[in-house]
Order: sequence, then structure tokens, then C-alpha cells
Amino acid sequence: MAPWRARPGWGLGGAAVLLAAALVLAGRRHGFGVPDYAQFVVDGLQAGAIYALVALGFVVVYRVTGVINFAQGAFVMLGPMLTITFLGASTTVSAPRLAASALAAVAATGALGVVVYRLALHPARGALLLTKIMITVGVYLVLQGTALLAWGPRPYVLPAFATLEMRDRSVLVGDVLIRAQSLWIWGTTAACLALLALFFERTLTGKAMRACAVNRLAAQLAGIRVDTMATLAFGLAAVLGAVAGIVVGPVTRPTFDMGLEVGLKGFVAAIMGGLVRFQGAIAGALILGVLETLWAGVTLAGFKDLFAFVVLVVLLLARPHGFAGAEAEAERP
Amino acid sequence: MKRYRFVLVLVAIAAGAALVPAGPWAWASMPYRIGFIASVTGPGASLGVPERDVARMLQERLTVQRGVVGPDRARHDVEILIFDDQSSADVAAGLARRLIHDERVTVLVAGTLSGPSLAMVPIATEGRTPMISMASARSIIEDPATKRMRPWIFKPVPENLHSAQAQADYLQAVGARRVCHLYENTAYGKDTFQSAEAVYGKAGIAIAYGDAFERTATEFPQVARVRASGCQAVVIGSIPPAASLINVAVRERLPAVRIVHGHGACSPDLIKTAGQAAEGTVMPCGKILVADQLPADDPTRALNLRFVSDYQRYTGGAPISTFAGHAYDALQWALAALRTLPDRQPLERQRELVREALETKLGSIRGTHGVFKLSPDDHLGFDYRDFVFVTVKGGKFLVLPKDQWK
Repeated sequence: MAPWRARPGWGLGGAAVLLAAALVLAGRRHGFGVPDYAQFVVDGLQAGAIYALVALGFVVVYRVTGVINFAQGAFVMLGPMLTITFLGASTTVSAPRLAASALAAVAATGALGVVVYRLALHPARGALLLTKIMITVGVYLVLQGTALLAWGPRPYVLPAFATLEMRDRSVLVGDVLIRAQSLWIWGTTAACLALLALFFERTLTGKAMRACAVNRLAAQLAGIRVDTMATLAFGLAAVLGAVAGIVVGPVTRPTFDMGLEVGLKGFVAAIMGGLVRFQGAIAGALILGVLETLWAGVTLAGFKDLFAFVVLVVLLLARPHGFAGAEAEAERP
Repeated sequence: MKRYRFVLVLVAIAAGAALVPAGPWAWASMPYRIGFIASVTGPGASLGVPERDVARMLQERLTVQRGVVGPDRARHDVEILIFDDQSSADVAAGLARRLIHDERVTVLVAGTLSGPSLAMVPIATEGRTPMISMASARSIIEDPATKRMRPWIFKPVPENLHSAQAQADYLQAVGARRVCHLYENTAYGKDTFQSAEAVYGKAGIAIAYGDAFERTATEFPQVARVRASGCQAVVIGSIPPAASLINVAVRERLPAVRIVHGHGACSPDLIKTAGQAAEGTVMPCGKILVADQLPADDPTRALNLRFVSDYQRYTGGAPISTFAGHAYDALQWALAALRTLPDRQPLERQRELVREALETKLGSIRGTHGVFKLSPDDHLGFDYRDFVFVTVKGGKFLVLPKDQWK
């Protein structure tokens, strides 16, 4: 195996740096200055942080069960939708009420993740991996359709966390605009990453989940309930998705079909990071967010989404044997 | 007494007949069927749901009124068969085929979105069935290759071209000669851009920078380009919530720039999802949106007020939707044409006669968006001056008369 394959991170990082440099050069013809590029990077990091939270959900489920969970996007949509429902119709929002609604929404979505596993995937645990992946696609469609029935097709508004109203607070640093919600997004992503690291490194349950990822049979022989761990993984992924949806809620306008796009972007980010490592997924997500925004800024922005999917196709072509790279921790059933 | 009883019965019958209103004087004849296809689910759902509600509302009204009465006093029950194309061209095509060949509808009111509508065009044409679309693309009624009207297809929906003409009038009046155009990356958005390119140049307005954005984007690098280009106005070709997100992003970096939306933004959703950032933006809209502010002599005022109150009562207070208005207009065209049909025509003849009626017999039809003048050369019959310019002020749409353009 060629050396760059053994360390996929280097190849990916190098390619990203080269691409970024090319994009910065291409932007010169529009007369962009440093503030413009800084703004692109800030915006890109905001998008990237959201992709990261979604990607973490993919990684958790993939590591423990080997399934790529395409229902992840639906969890992202349910987060803000449930929060808005719990907030109720009152015009003024208080901080405790928003926090309580958000927590309730996260808990409800997490519980739903568990239910999804027990009802849809557990009965098919002996089936082929591809079957399970198709089941998750079906789960996504069911959840999206139910959301359409429950909330209708119209967009909703989740207040910004800093101001508790639609209009967010923002500051100009130099000539770069930073919104308060961006800080919330970065903070939440960092906190989630830290908590995940603690959970997987320090708790027995976390270690048991990792054991399932390394070798399912051995884990079972060691007395770990693999099935319980898989259930837990789905619950955790749903929680991560809901959190991602809630923090991005004020930046977008939640609709019943918002999950597909952000779910696919998170998937691309997870693949960029190798699909098994949390740090890889986070790096992949941030790189994707920044490059995508730079790309959209200097070329025609209409091709923004094209970028992510070209990356996806190139990655799949470059590593047809699987996404996990040379240091795959996960066992492929 | 016995001999008078016969006379008394006759008198009683005559008195009874005189007491009932004129409608039932018509005798019952065969029912008519209208095939109604909307995008109730999928990406078009926010348009298709109000449209379906209008179809249901009119079906209820038709049931109470016991259908339509033809020129020879024959009364026909009308059944509106409502289907969902799931925003998919494939599903729409299958439904259209089924309605034409199996359900034997006289006329189709079909297509919330341009894609599904275009997919049904050849099927309606081949099936020789008149079709009234609720989508906006010009190519639905006009063959782009020959520039001729498609004989069987009609639509009561203004186009982006009309929107662009109205915008050009406004931009000229306020002296904006250099504009930026940002449009969502969909068929609708691209059409707003192409229409603007086609119209603005003739009005002496240059598009300094035009670019697309994704409906789902959360950050907009386009705004940097807008700042660099020094545009006097930003024209947005999009539908909420995407229109609101780009509106907020532009307003955040350019607090003073003039923002002009297209008629796709004419929805309470714009105000709901853009909030403060929507204040002061302007856009050309269908009259239905501001029915209560129309001058008393406006020919569509009474119709719009009645429709809006009926619709809101039926839906339990749903916000006014221009798409509901399109469905109402399309169904009214269909019903008006059905009322011209002589009794006892075979289905094929009914369809031909409806087509002819739409083209030639209906004349000027009042609708929610203006007074339509259908003719063999114009299957839409909309005058762009029937758009009203509105602005957002205090969280409400306000009519902006020409003398206040500044």
C-alpha cells in the first residue's frame, strides 16, 4: 500500500490546503480582500460545526453497528421542530423556557432513536448490511412524512439564543461579522465532542461500545450486550442530531424537509474523516464547510452543493474498498 | 268537492314550484368530473396544500349548490377528483393518464409546480383534454420551439417575466441603474434571473452581479460579491424561507441597500421568517395579498375579499396564500367553461367544447390576480400592470402606489 494511503489524513489535508490556495487565488479577480476571506472562513466554520455534529452521529452508529444511518437527517429536523412545539405559541420567550424546550426536544428525539432501533433495525439484525442501510432510508422517509402531517409544509422560526427573538446579535470584528449564534454553534459542538470523548474513554458503557466496534464477537464473549450497545448508539446519534438541529435552528428556518440536505452533508463530512474516528469526522466537517464556502464565494455560488458531492464521489472512487481507511477500527460484518 | 280536488292538487303543485328558487328549475343531467392534481407532499407542499384546500372548499360549495347549470337549464353535479402528485413529474404523468383515460374527467386542473405540469402537458395534449395548470413557467402554455400556444393547455398564473417588467418599472422610477440579482438554485429562481436579464436591459438597468444560492444554505458568501459590486438595489428571486434567509444576510451587511423581491415572496411567510429584515423591502404581488387595501373601484376587490374570507373560514384561519388564489382561478375557469356546455355531449366533445370556451367564449374573467383576457393567442391573458407593488411596514404588506416610489 502506498504510504499516503496508510495515512489518509495527510493526503486529505494536503489536497484541502492546495484547493484552498487555488480558491484564494481565483478570488483575486473579484477584488476580495482579507476581510472577505476571513468572512468566508468564519461562515464556513459555522456550517462545518453543524456538519460535524451530524457527522458524529453517523460515526457513533457506524462504529457500533456497521450501519450507515440515513435517518440521521430526520433527527436533525426533529430537534428544532419539537423545540418550537414545546415552546408553544407564546410571543415572548424566556431563556429557561427555551432551554427546557430544547432539552425536552433532545430527550424526545433520543428516545425516538432508541425506538427506531428496536422497532426497525433490531428485528432485521440478522439481515445483510445493505438491507439495514435501506431500512434507515425508509425510517427517514417515514419520519419526514410524519413531520409533514404534524407540522405542515410551512417554515418555522426558532429564536436566536442570545436575544430570544428572531433577530440575532452580531459584532463586527475588523470587517468580519460574527453572530452570537455562531458562538453557540461552536461552543455546543466543542462541548459535545468533549462529552463524547469523556464517555468513550472514561465510562464502562463507553468502553463497552468501543469494544463492540472493534470486535463484536469478542465483545459478546466478554459479556457485553451488543444489542443494548447498538440501541444506545442509535439513541446517542439521535441526541447529537437533535442538538445539531436545535443550534442551527435560529440560523435557518426549520421545515419538515430540512433533514435531507444537512444529513447528506454530515455524511460527506463523516466519510472525509474516515467514518470511524471522531476527530476525523470533525476535521472533515470543518474542512468541508470552509472549502465549500470559499468555493461558493469565488465561483458561482449556485454550485455550492455540487462541491460536497464531488468530494463524496472522488472519495468513494479513491477508496472503493470501504470508507474506513487503513486504520479501520470497525469490524465489517 | 271531489271534482275540485284535482284542481287543488294542481294549484298546490304550481304554488310549490313557484316558491322554490330558480336553480332547481333546471333538471338533473349527467355529472361532470374535474381532475385536480396538486403537490400536497414533497417540496411543493407549501403551495399544494392551500391549493388542495381550495379544491375541497369548492367541492363542498358545488355539492350544496348542486353543481353547475348549463345554457339549456340542464343541471350537472360536479365532482372534483383530488390527487397528490408528491411534487414528482413521474407521479403527475401517471395520475394525468389515469384521470383522462380511466376516470374520464372533462377537464384537468393540474400541476402545482412547473416540472410536474410540463410532464402532464403532452399527456393532456395527446388525450385531447383541456388542462389548466397552477404553475408559472411560460413553457407550460407556450411551445418554446415554435413560440405558439399549446392548444389544450391554459394557466391563470402570472410569470416571472411579468414580475420582472413590474420590477423594471419600479427600478427605473427610483433611479436604480445598477442592480445585483440573487436567485435560488431552482427552476423558479433561474427563471427569475433569465426574465430579469431579458427585461432589465431594455429598461436601461444593468445586472452587475447575478448568482444563485441554495435553498438550504445557512451562510451566504454571495453577499461579499454584492458589496464589492456596488449595486444600488438587490433583486431576490426566491420563495420563503430561502428568500427570507438571503434577505436577512443582505440586510445584515448592507443596511441601506434597496431590496426588491419577486412575486414568489408574496407570502406572510416572508414576514414571519425574515422579521425585521423584511421591513422596507418591495415586491410586485397578486392583488389577493392586499385585497382589503385595493381601491373601491378595483374590479377584483369584491371577489378577492369574498374568496379570502371564505378560504380563511374554511381552513380555520390559514394565512392568505397566492397559491390558493391560483387554484381558485383555475377551478373558476374550469367551472365557467363547463357552464357553457350544451347538455348530452359525448366526453370527447365536452373536452373540445371546454377548450373552445376557454379560448373564445369566456372573454374577460375576474380572478384573484387580475382580469384575465383569454384568447387563442394568449392562454394566460395577464397584464403585468395588474400586479400591485407592496412594501413591508410594521410586519404587514402595504400597497405602494406609483406616486410613492422613491
